[in-house]
Amino acid sequence: MMQVQITGTMLLQLVVSGLLAGGLYALVALGLSLVFGVMRVINLAHGALLMLGAYTTYWLFALFGLNPFLSLLVSVPMLFVVGAILQKLFVHRVVEAPELSSLLLTFGISIFIANVAMLAWSSDYRSVEFLTGSFILGQIAFSKPRLISFSVALGLTGLALLFLHRTKIGKAIRATSQHRDVAQICGINVRRIDMITFGLGAGLAGAGGSLVSIMFAVYPEMGLIYVFKSFLVVVLGGAGNYPGAFFGGLLLGLVEGLASLFLTAQLSEVIAYIFLVIVLLVRPAGLLGGRT
Amino acid sequence: MRRAFVLGLAGMWISLLVLYLAVGPTWGQEPIKIGASISLTGTYAKPGKYTQEGYLFCEKEINDKGGLLGRKVRFIIYDDKSDPLTAIKLYEKLITGDKVEQVMGPYSSPVTNAASTASEKYKKVMMASLASTTSIWERGFKYLFMTISPAEVYLEGLVELAAERGLKTIAVINEDTLFAKAAAKGTIELAKKKGMQVVFHEAYPKGTTDFSALLIKIKSLNPDVIAAGSYFDDAVATTRQMKELDVNPRMYGVTVGGDLPEFYQIQGKTAEYVYGSSQWEKTLPYPGIKEFVAAYEKMWNHEPSYHSAAGYGACQLLAEAIKRANSLDSEKIREQLLKLKIPTVFGDYQVDERGFQIAHKMVLLQWLDGKKVTVWPLHLAEGKPLYPTPPWKQR
Repeated sequence: MMQVQITGTMLLQLVVSGLLAGGLYALVALGLSLVFGVMRVINLAHGALLMLGAYTTYWLFALFGLNPFLSLLVSVPMLFVVGAILQKLFVHRVVEAPELSSLLLTFGISIFIANVAMLAWSSDYRSVEFLTGSFILGQIAFSKPRLISFSVALGLTGLALLFLHRTKIGKAIRATSQHRDVAQICGINVRRIDMITFGLGAGLAGAGGSLVSIMFAVYPEMGLIYVFKSFLVVVLGGAGNYPGAFFGGLLLGLVEGLASLFLTAQLSEVIAYIFLVIVLLVRPAGLLGGRT
Repeated sequence: MRRAFVLGLAGMWISLLVLYLAVGPTWGQEPIKIGASISLTGTYAKPGKYTQEGYLFCEKEINDKGGLLGRKVRFIIYDDKSDPLTAIKLYEKLITGDKVEQVMGPYSSPVTNAASTASEKYKKVMMASLASTTSIWERGFKYLFMTISPAEVYLEGLVELAAERGLKTIAVINEDTLFAKAAAKGTIELAKKKGMQVVFHEAYPKGTTDFSALLIKIKSLNPDVIAAGSYFDDAVATTRQMKELDVNPRMYGVTVGGDLPEFYQIQGKTAEYVYGSSQWEKTLPYPGIKEFVAAYEKMWNHEPSYHSAAGYGACQLLAEAIKRANSLDSEKIREQLLKLKIPTVFGDYQVDERGFQIAHKMVLLQWLDGKKVTVWPLHLAEGKPLYPTPPWKQR
C-alpha cells in the first residue's frame, strides 16, 4: 500500500472542508448554548429539533420543489413556534432545576419526536438533491452545497449575535443568562424570555437542519450526532458564551478535518472528544472562558 | 307463504352451518409459523424492507397455492433496527415465545452472524437469505444455510474487467463491519492475483456521512479503480462527494446499494457510470423470473431488488425442503437442505457440508443512461460496459 503524501494542497483542502463544516456546528451549537445560558437547561432534544427542520426542507423540496434556502423562511419560524410550545408546556418545569431533571425531560422529548418522525416518515434516508458538484479554485474544490450552507450559517449566526447584542429582547436574554434574579428585579419578564430563548434555540437548530439536509442524508436519528457535537462546541467555547459557541464551532470543524487527514477515519471520530478532554484539563472554563 | 319463507331461511342457515363445519376445521387449523427479524429501521432499512417484501410475497404465494403440508403459512416478522444484539433477543422471542417452527434469516451479515447463535442454540433451521460473509459458516453451525454468493466475490466482476483493460492501481474503502470488511478483503486478494497494486485501503465507521477526508487522500493517489465495500447510504454519500471533490477514477464500483433503483432516483446523473454488484437482476435467464417480477410488482407496486429475490428464493428453498422432508422437524429439514440442488428464480442453490453456498453466481452491472446494464459475466451480460468513466468536468 502506498503511503499517502500529505501535500499543501490536501491540507488546504481539508482546512477548507473543516471550516465549512464548522460554520454549521457554530450555528447549531449557538442554539444549545442560548438555552443553557438562560435556563440552565441541557436540551438533549436539540438534535430532534434540527431533524424537524431538515424534514421541513425535505418535504417542501420534494412536494413543491421549493428552493431549500428559501425553505429556511418556513423552517425557522416553524421551529421557533415548536420550541416556544415545548417550553411553555414542559421545559418551564425544569428551568433552574438540577441538571438531571432537564436531561431526563429533554431526552424523553427527543425520543418521542424521533419516533414520531420514524412512524410518520419511515427511517428511509432522504436527501435533497439541490446542489451538487463544486467550485474549483485552482487545486481546491469548494463543495457547492457546503460553501453556500456555510455562508448562510455564518449569516444566521451573525444575525443571531447581532440580535443578542443590539436589540432590547436580545439584551434581556443576555441579562437573564448572566443573573436571573437580578434580571427579574430589573423588570425583565424572565418567564417570557425563557419561552423566546427556547424558541430561538429551536429556530437555530431548525435552520441548521435545513442546511444539513442539502449536504447529508436526512433520517429520524440524524440529530443525535449534532447534539454531541454541539455539546463539545458549547463546552469548548464556554457555556453561555455566545461568541464562544461560534469560534468553538469553527475550531471543532477544523480539528476534525485535520484529524481525518492525518489519522484513519475511525480515529478521527474519537479525536473531537480527546481534544475536548485536553481543553478542559488546560482551561476548564472553555477556550474563551464563559460563565461558571 | 310466510311459513315457507321462514323454513327456506332456516334451511339456508342449516346448510351453511353444515358447510362451515365440513370445511371450517381445515381453515381453522393452526398455520405454520415462520419467524424472522428484519432491519426495518436503521442503516440497513432500505435493503431490509425489500427482504421483508420478498418474504411476505413468498408467504402469499404459498398460501394462494394451498399452503404447506396442508396448512397455511404465517410469517411473524419483527424489526431488529439493523442491530445485531436486538436481533438475538427477537429470535429468542420468536422461538421461545411465539413458538415458531423454523426461522428465516435477517438482513446483513453482522445481524445474521449474531441472530444465528439463537437459532442454533434451539436447533432451529435458519435459512440465511441475505448473509454473505464466509466466516459465518466457519463456526461449525449445523442449522444455518446460505442462499447468496459470498462477500469476497462481490466485486470480482469489477476487478476482472479492470484487469482486462490493463488497469494497474486500485483503492479500496469499506464500512467497518463484517460483510464490508470481507468484501474488501476478497476484492484486494482478487486484485493482487490479477497483478494490480492496492494503493489505498481504509475502513470507515458504520454511519459515516462525511467521506471528504478519505476521498481527498484517495484523490492524491490517483488510482485507476476505486472499490467500495458499502451499503446503500454510504454508497450514495461517497458517490456524491466524489463529484464534489472531483475524484476521477477510470472505474468506480460499490458492493451494496449500487443495484437499487433508488441509487439512481436519488442522485440522477451523478450515478451514471457507477458499477454495482448484484446477486440477481430481473433480466437474467433464470426459470420463472418473468412471472415472479410481474406478480411482485403487482403486490408491491415497484420492482423487486435482489434482496427481494433472495428473500423469496430462500423462503422457496425452505418450503421445498419442508415438503421433501414432509415434516417440520429440524433434523429432517436440515438433511434435505444439505442435499438440495435446484435452480430457483434467484439462481442456483447448492451448499457444502457447512451450509455454505457454492452454486450461486453474482453479476456486475453499470448504470448507463439511467438504466442498469448487466455487463459481467459474459454469459449473463446484456450489454457492454462504457469505459473509461469520463471525468466529472466532462459530463
